[in-house]
Amino acid sequence: MFDPQWLPTIMIFLPLLGSLLVFVTPNRWRDEVAGFMAAVTLGIGLMIWYAGGSGLLSLNWIPALGITYSVELSGVSLALAMVTAFMSFIAVLYAARRIPNPGTMLALILAMETGLLGIFAARDLILFYVFFEDALLPSLLMLAIYGKAHRMRALVKFAAYTLFGSLLMLVSIIGVRYLGGSPTFALVDLKQNLVTGPAQTWLYLGFLTAMAVKLPLWPLHAWLPDFHEQNHDSGIPDVMGTLYKVGGYGLFTFAIPLFPDASLELRPILMGLAAFTALYSAWIAFGQKDWKRLLAYAGLSHMGFVALGVFSLNETAVIGAMYLLAFQNLYTGALFLSVGMVQERIGSLDTRVGGLMTGAGALGGLTIALWFASIAVPGFAGFIGEFSVLLGAYQVSPWLAFMAGITTIAAAAYALTAFQTTFWQARPLGSVAVRDLVHTEWLILGLPLVVAIFFGVYSAPALNLMQPAVKSVLAALGGN
Amino acid sequence: MPQLVPPDVAFLPLLPILLVLAGALISTLLGFWVGRRTLTMINIVTVILSGASMMSLWNGGLTSFAGSLQADNAAILLGLIVLVGTLMSLLVSLDTAWRERVSFPEFDAMMMYAVTGCLLIVFSGDLIVMLIGLEIMSLAGYVLATFQGSRRAEESGLKYFLLGAVGSAILIYGIAFVYGATGTLNYAAIAAKVGSVSNLTPENVGILVGGSLLLLAGFGFKIALVPFHQWTPDVYSGAPTTTFLFLSTVVKVAAFAGMMRVFGGALTDAPGWSSVLQILTAATLIIGNTAALFQTNFKRMLAYSAVAHTGFLAMCLLGTPELGGAALGYYLLVYTLMTGAALAVVAALQRTEAGFEMGDMRGLYYRHPGYAVALSVCLASLAGLPPFAGFFGKYLAFQAAFQNGYVWISVLAAVTSVAALVYYLRPAMLMFMPDRTPAREYAHGQRFPTTFTVGLGVASITVLGILPNVWYSWVANPAIWSFLAGR
Repeated sequence: MFDPQWLPTIMIFLPLLGSLLVFVTPNRWRDEVAGFMAAVTLGIGLMIWYAGGSGLLSLNWIPALGITYSVELSGVSLALAMVTAFMSFIAVLYAARRIPNPGTMLALILAMETGLLGIFAARDLILFYVFFEDALLPSLLMLAIYGKAHRMRALVKFAAYTLFGSLLMLVSIIGVRYLGGSPTFALVDLKQNLVTGPAQTWLYLGFLTAMAVKLPLWPLHAWLPDFHEQNHDSGIPDVMGTLYKVGGYGLFTFAIPLFPDASLELRPILMGLAAFTALYSAWIAFGQKDWKRLLAYAGLSHMGFVALGVFSLNETAVIGAMYLLAFQNLYTGALFLSVGMVQERIGSLDTRVGGLMTGAGALGGLTIALWFASIAVPGFAGFIGEFSVLLGAYQVSPWLAFMAGITTIAAAAYALTAFQTTFWQARPLGSVAVRDLVHTEWLILGLPLVVAIFFGVYSAPALNLMQPAVKSVLAALGGN
Repeated sequence: MPQLVPPDVAFLPLLPILLVLAGALISTLLGFWVGRRTLTMINIVTVILSGASMMSLWNGGLTSFAGSLQADNAAILLGLIVLVGTLMSLLVSLDTAWRERVSFPEFDAMMMYAVTGCLLIVFSGDLIVMLIGLEIMSLAGYVLATFQGSRRAEESGLKYFLLGAVGSAILIYGIAFVYGATGTLNYAAIAAKVGSVSNLTPENVGILVGGSLLLLAGFGFKIALVPFHQWTPDVYSGAPTTTFLFLSTVVKVAAFAGMMRVFGGALTDAPGWSSVLQILTAATLIIGNTAALFQTNFKRMLAYSAVAHTGFLAMCLLGTPELGGAALGYYLLVYTLMTGAALAVVAALQRTEAGFEMGDMRGLYYRHPGYAVALSVCLASLAGLPPFAGFFGKYLAFQAAFQNGYVWISVLAAVTSVAALVYYLRPAMLMFMPDRTPAREYAHGQRFPTTFTVGLGVASITVLGILPNVWYSWVANPAIWSFLAGR
């Protein structure tokens, strides 16, 4: 029988293969090929899940440099990989219908999926860095090819921020191995050769910069709204952009185990920053008149929660953060697509059009349901995540938890106001009838919603997957 | 009556150089009867033969002229890189020389003379051989830069000549100082003297430091280290693109090989030079990267990017010879491949020798998809994005400097790289933006040899990026680099 250790590798590179295949298949079959590849990737993810996660596969990649090819999909990384595969499938489904001549877009979605799955599976710092940067190229190309008028500015900003962070991380990575004296860059080896003392704090800061940009954490968030605003109206690049929020995951998998003392030392400052990010961006979101910018800031606010959970180093909070990180992709991604559908129908991304509900009831209904998921109404996956984060963070710092807690109220305010002014209110005079959801659009908005509700009501499968992973990571702290 | 001692001449280690020299001589003599393209073909063959003969010398450790010329493994690895760059230049010149109005046999002859000089530097065992090689290389280079009969080319050639001559003069002065301090010109002998400073009297230490700093400045001119870089953008962007390709890859590789021999071998233990070099490296990183950010002409941007890359390459020199040599050996090959391929695309598609304006790059993907993808791969690699080989080059340079204690340089390099990423990504992304204006490229640029060169470069940087071991396992052996000065 086939060795299941290879499954993550297949899962990672299958989409890339699909991306290349898309270019060689004739135009009329491209949608099917891309959809098939995305579906098979998701299927492999389910297989790994069914088997309870894969073991660690470690090969020597560049022995002379101590770089290994170590991949593993289990626990938190498996959950995130599954969501990535699922949302990539949804994105492919939508792109095939929405974008005329979608070959390039489909190829880019699949190429990016490879990068993202690689990020979650990597158990070697250099490999992680390689995938981290690889996911960047397709997203830049999506912006360059399909973006709007001011995309160059957004692109340069996005690239400069992310790469600034990741290059400092690269220096940290070199430092972690050299100063710790580990034989390889594999996480297993690095954990046994920790850097100690002040050097650890400095290295943590280098690592943190990259993750804080990706999260993004205030004050390194400025690229995010422009990135979403300038991307294609359909929202497909945005779905991939939200999947890109690997900062929280990176902090969890690499930063806590490798820099335990430094993370404890910096905990108060970082928790403060995270809570501030959550509240601040919810406040900014309230004032947005563009759906994409609104969603960007809403996502930023969620990420503030994730960061609060991770930085608090409390078991409940970290589980909550990972839960939120995984499922936030579902509903925020789907919301970006619903915004794309609104734009397709009325030609505008403004939040003050009014009266959409009369023509497109189903679109409005699914959208509000997704918004409920997003603002953490109980019964949706987001609630479990945010509640756990607050519960755990409260045990560490009640005041910061309180501050972040206010965000949930602010979230309801911005979400409901924007929804109200778009879908209800008076129908503009002279507006034509708006088409409601048709065929696959039902699936595109419905499937993520179903999953979000399923895991909001029955969280055991996901929690069982994450809990041991979180426990083992936090064990590095020696009980806080 | 003193015994007459015949000189120690072994021809086997000389063979790679002689083959290239034969190419140069053939080009000079047959140029009267044979067309240039035929000569280029002949030169390609001699270059390949030279590479083959070099590989046959692997692990031989042969020397000639009593150690003045050494064909050790370091020389072979760096020599092969020189030949790869030469091969790319020759292939591109097959297509573009006539368009650049440099299509005469002398062009090939000069190029091959320059390569002969480069190989002499790479194989050098003492300062005199190094100097001879450097002068042959430089003189041929000055002519190459001036060949095209245009004002721009003449200006660039003159600038190159004047500054290059100053550089050479400083270098020779430095050699004199080092000789004064140590009483020898042989690398191994210098290393032995310098290794134990007690052999030198206190006054001589001052002379040695002065000599090594003068040498550093002289080499600084050749590799375009800030503040000795001023000629670079004008010369590179003023010269025909093929010449730019040649000067920025082959000549630079050879100059770095010389620096590796001198500073990584002979003067490793000499005091002073490394603290100056780290400041110059920092300045190069800052100025090269910032200046490139403000260029509106693509060719000029690449010229400044060549300066910026000098900064990264110089970081390798700051490492210990073992780590730094391996890093340099990897980086130089990758640098040659990616710069060569990028310039080959420019050479093929540009309308005039001024290259592209940034705005002209818009929509290139929709007009020349193959070249556009190739060029963006090169740019991504130059920017140091994985999975392309430029990433490992950068990584190795960071590592070499970091592990030798120059942490701040690594951090500075990381910070300045952000500027690099911006100026590489902007043209790369412009190429993919849809565009409805008429094409601004030379329509008949896609010809087989250039396409082959581009393909070779792109395929190599992709393979070397995914499987760096293909080349790195050759250069990684620290034993190669610990005997740079000879045994």
